[in-house]
Amino acid sequence: MEKFEAAFNAIIEQDLKVEPRDWMPEKYRKQLIRQVSQHAHSEIIGMQPEGNWLLRAPSLRAKQVLLAKIQDEAGHGLYLYSVAETLGITRAEMIEQLHKQEAKYSSIFNYPTLTWADMGAVGWLVDGAAIVNQVSLQRTSYGPYARSMVRICMEESFHQRQGYEIMVQMSFGTPEQKEMAQDALNRFWEPALMMFGPHDAESAHSSQSMEWKIKRESNDHLRQRFIDRTVPQAEYLGLTIPDTKIKLNKETGHYDHGEFNWDEFWNVINGNGPCNQERLDHHKKAHYDNEWVREAASAYAAKTESSVA
Amino acid sequence: MNFTFESNESKFLLRIADTSLILAQRLAEMCSKGPFLEEDIALSNTSLDLFGRAEELYKIICRIENDKFEPDELVYKRNERQFYNLKLVEQPNEDFAWVIVRQFLHDVYAKEVFTELLKSENSEVVGLSQKVLKEIKYSHLHAKDWIERLGLGTEESNSRTQSAVNHILKYIEEIFNFDDIDKTYLSNTAEIESKWNAEINAVFAAYNITRIEVPPLSMRDYRDGFHSEYMGPLLSVMQYLPRAYPDAKW
Repeated sequence: MEKFEAAFNAIIEQDLKVEPRDWMPEKYRKQLIRQVSQHAHSEIIGMQPEGNWLLRAPSLRAKQVLLAKIQDEAGHGLYLYSVAETLGITRAEMIEQLHKQEAKYSSIFNYPTLTWADMGAVGWLVDGAAIVNQVSLQRTSYGPYARSMVRICMEESFHQRQGYEIMVQMSFGTPEQKEMAQDALNRFWEPALMMFGPHDAESAHSSQSMEWKIKRESNDHLRQRFIDRTVPQAEYLGLTIPDTKIKLNKETGHYDHGEFNWDEFWNVINGNGPCNQERLDHHKKAHYDNEWVREAASAYAAKTESSVA
Repeated sequence: MNFTFESNESKFLLRIADTSLILAQRLAEMCSKGPFLEEDIALSNTSLDLFGRAEELYKIICRIENDKFEPDELVYKRNERQFYNLKLVEQPNEDFAWVIVRQFLHDVYAKEVFTELLKSENSEVVGLSQKVLKEIKYSHLHAKDWIERLGLGTEESNSRTQSAVNHILKYIEEIFNFDDIDKTYLSNTAEIESKWNAEINAVFAAYNITRIEVPPLSMRDYRDGFHSEYMGPLLSVMQYLPRAYPDAKW
C-alpha cells in the first residue's frame, strides 16, 4: 500500500498524469467523480437555457450555429460522463444522483434566458468563464479529464466567439437591440463571475484539490483573469459593466471590482434560484417519459443476442 | 412582401425546401428531450442536415427568382398559406415513436426524390442532391433501425409505434398526388410512389407494424398551401423575432 501511495505521490509531484488503472487514494477518486460528474451535468443542464431560444433563433444561420453549439454541449457531457466512468461510476448512477439532487451542476444555468441577447451573453460570459477554468484544467492531474479538456476547450472557444458575435450584432444594432444587450450583461455579469466559486478562503474543496493538482489555480485567481479579459470587450461593445467599482488598478495591472452578492450565490446553489426546479424537472421528464424507448432497445438487444447464440 | 414565384422550378424546389425546414424545426424541438444523450445528438444532427438542406434550396430558389428576396425572408416573412411543405412534417412530437415514424416515412420519400433529382438539368440541384443523398443515407438508416427496435422491442414500444403510424398515415396520400409541376422535374413519379410503398410495406411487415387502410380523404393539397392546425403555432414561434423587430438585423 505504501508503495502504491508513493508511486501516486510521485506522479503528482512530477506533474505526470494519473491514469484509470493507476492506484489512487479513495478520496482523490471521490473528489474527481464529484467534480467531473458536476461538470458533465453542467454541460447537459446548460443545454436548456439555450434551447429556450433555439426554436426562435432569428436567422437560418443563427439557428444552425446555436443548434450546433447545444449539440457540442451534449457531446461534452458525453465525454465527461465517460471520464467519470473510468473512475468506477456508471452514467445511470450519475443521472440518479442528479435527480436526487445529490450531485450539483453549475448554478449559472438556474438563471432564465429572457431575450435573444441572452444567447450572446451566455456564449460570451458563461462560456468565456468556463474556458478560463477549463484551460487551467487541461493541466489537471487525472489524464482522461485533462485530455477531454483539450478537446472541449477548442469547441468552447468557438462558442465564446458565437456569443460575442451576437453581442456585437445587438450592441451595434437598433436601440432596442442595444438595450437587450445591456440588459443581458446586467443580468449575467455577476452570476458569471460567481461561476468560479466562492472566495478561496471559503472554498470547501479547494486546498486538497490543489495539492492533488486536480485544480491548478485558485478560484479568485481565475476570476480575476476573466474580469481582466472581459472588461475591455464590454468597452468595445459600448456596454456598461454593472459594477460601479470596476476600475483598472494601474499598480496591479488588474481590474478592481466590487463585492458580489454571495447570499444570492448560496441561495441559488441551495436550490432556490429562478429555474432550479424547472431545470431538474425538464431533465427528469425527458428521462422518464422515454424510459419505454430504452426498455425497447434493451429488449430488442436481448432478443437478437439470444437468437444469434 | 410579395412572394410570387415566376418560375415553376422554384415553385417545385420550394416544396422540398419548406418540407426540409419544417421537419428541421420539429426535430430541433427534441433537443435536450431525447431518450438518452447519444440519441439527442443524433436527432440534432438530422435537424442540422435539414436546416442546411433548406437553406441551400432557398439560395437556389432566390437565384432563380433573380434575388428578389433572400432565404431568411422566405423563412421568416411568409405566412402560413405561403408555405408548401408536406403536412406529414408538421405533425407534432407526441412521443419518440411519432418522431421516428414521421422521419422514416419522410426519409424514404426524400431518398427517392433526391435520387431523381440527380438527373436534373440544374447543375446546382444535382450537386446538392449528391450531398443530400449521403445525409439521407444516415438519417434513413437511423430511423429504420429504430422502427425495427420499437416494432420488435416491447409490447409498449410496438403499440406506441403502431399508434403513431395510424395517426400519421393519413398525411401520405397527398404526397403522391403529383401535379404537372412535380412531373416536370421528377421524371418518374410513378416509380417514386411504387418504391416508397414497397419499402414501407416490407419494413412494416418485417417489424410487426400494420399498415392500416386509410379511406380516401377530403384533405386539401399541400401544393396549394393547405396545412394542418399544427403549422400556425410552429410558425409563430419560429418567426417571432424578425416579425417583432422588423428593422433589426440578426
